Amino acid sequence: MKSYEYSPYDDRTQTLRQIDKYNASFRRVPASPLIPRPITLSESTGPVELPRRWNAGKLDLSRVAENGPRAVGQLIRVSGRVTDEDGSPAAGVVMEIWQANAAGKYVHAMDDHAAPLDPNFIGQGRLVTDEDGRYEAFTIKPGAYPVLYSGWWWRPPHIHFSILGLSWMNRFITQIFFPGEPLNETDLLLNGVPSGSLGNDVRERLIFEHGDTVMGDLSYINFRRDFVLRGHRRTPELA
Amino acid sequence: MKRVVSPCNTTGPYFPREFSDGNEDLTRRDGATARGEHIILAGRVLELEAKPTWNMVLEIWQADANGVYRHPLDPRSAEVDPGFWNWGRARTNQDGWYRFRTVLPGGNLRIPHINCAVLGIGLTRRLVTTIFFAGNMGAAPDPVLDCVVDPELRRRLIARRDPSLDADGAAGYGFDVILRGEGETPFFVD
Ligand SMILES: [Fe+2]
Repeated sequence: MKSYEYSPYDDRTQTLRQIDKYNASFRRVPASPLIPRPITLSESTGPVELPRRWNAGKLDLSRVAENGPRAVGQLIRVSGRVTDEDGSPAAGVVMEIWQANAAGKYVHAMDDHAAPLDPNFIGQGRLVTDEDGRYEAFTIKPGAYPVLYSGWWWRPPHIHFSILGLSWMNRFITQIFFPGEPLNETDLLLNGVPSGSLGNDVRERLIFEHGDTVMGDLSYINFRRDFVLRGHRRTPELA
Repeated sequence: MKRVVSPCNTTGPYFPREFSDGNEDLTRRDGATARGEHIILAGRVLELEAKPTWNMVLEIWQADANGVYRHPLDPRSAEVDPGFWNWGRARTNQDGWYRFRTVLPGGNLRIPHINCAVLGIGLTRRLVTTIFFAGNMGAAPDPVLDCVVDPELRRRLIARRDPSLDADGAAGYGFDVILRGEGETPFFVD
């Protein structure tokens, strides 16, 4: 087990905490400054047995039953690699994925959008990264949906990712968007990035890369997104 | 060359309930029951003007009753309680309430505490805090609690015994998370 060092997130590489017109962020982000603290054993450890606890393995969101009918929508495969800041694989970590169906509807009690559910689509599941930190999942391209309560805007198609990480300190949650979507231009969350060129980098890193298309028994489009979790190896102390 | 950390973003409103449900109880693992004093840790997650939040996600990470983490970095990890999970997740109901069943953590060179993260609508990044327990503050200094200088703010990091939360032989401790506004919970740099 490597001993990691964790620097605080660099705000220039992260989505802003408070985003203009994203009203909830002004009701929920603390007004007081965050307090610096040291990292002890307690924070540098974390749940490593969740793959077993949840019996997570491979994930195919494009259908409910193995060999069952596919969900309505464009079949896609999302994949990539999860590493630490040194580029070493985050192997055997749980990734949780959730998304709307092709009509922009979530299987969730809080979703009041008047769009149909799809009996062949649940839109949530877990997988475990392989020894090289790689993940992949078949799914369908999600639809756009309106935000009915806080701000009234349309969310572009996106997929939510949650990575349990290697320790308490590099647990990670984000959402990834699709390239070239017109609604990307007006989405508060995708555009809630720091100003300047680093902000452009942040925005780019919230969008999938369009991968190759596959023709065969199963035809689908690849979308790729790598993730870098916080944590780098301790620099050896010089004598 | 060092890689740039990926940008976080909010869970949004639709974090699947199935991802939380079943993870609020840390005291039953592989048919065994956790050692130590079972407690209920419960409270409300409130936003500005003390309004309750719905479907906010809380994650916790803590030592077992003997202060051991199930993790290779803890030299004592082989001794970890086989009946205890160390990690849990809960979500708030419509009235803003969350509820965990866990054990009073052991010390491991710190004042006994539980790491807590809050995720949900309005938070593009998680908020992290540390929960301590009234009557279990020990004498040792704590490097994290010591960063909170104002006694009033320190007080807000301490869960209080609340018999109205007792359940199934577990002692109730109340801890409200006030995200913003009067009585705001102290959160740490993440
Ligand atoms: Fe969403």
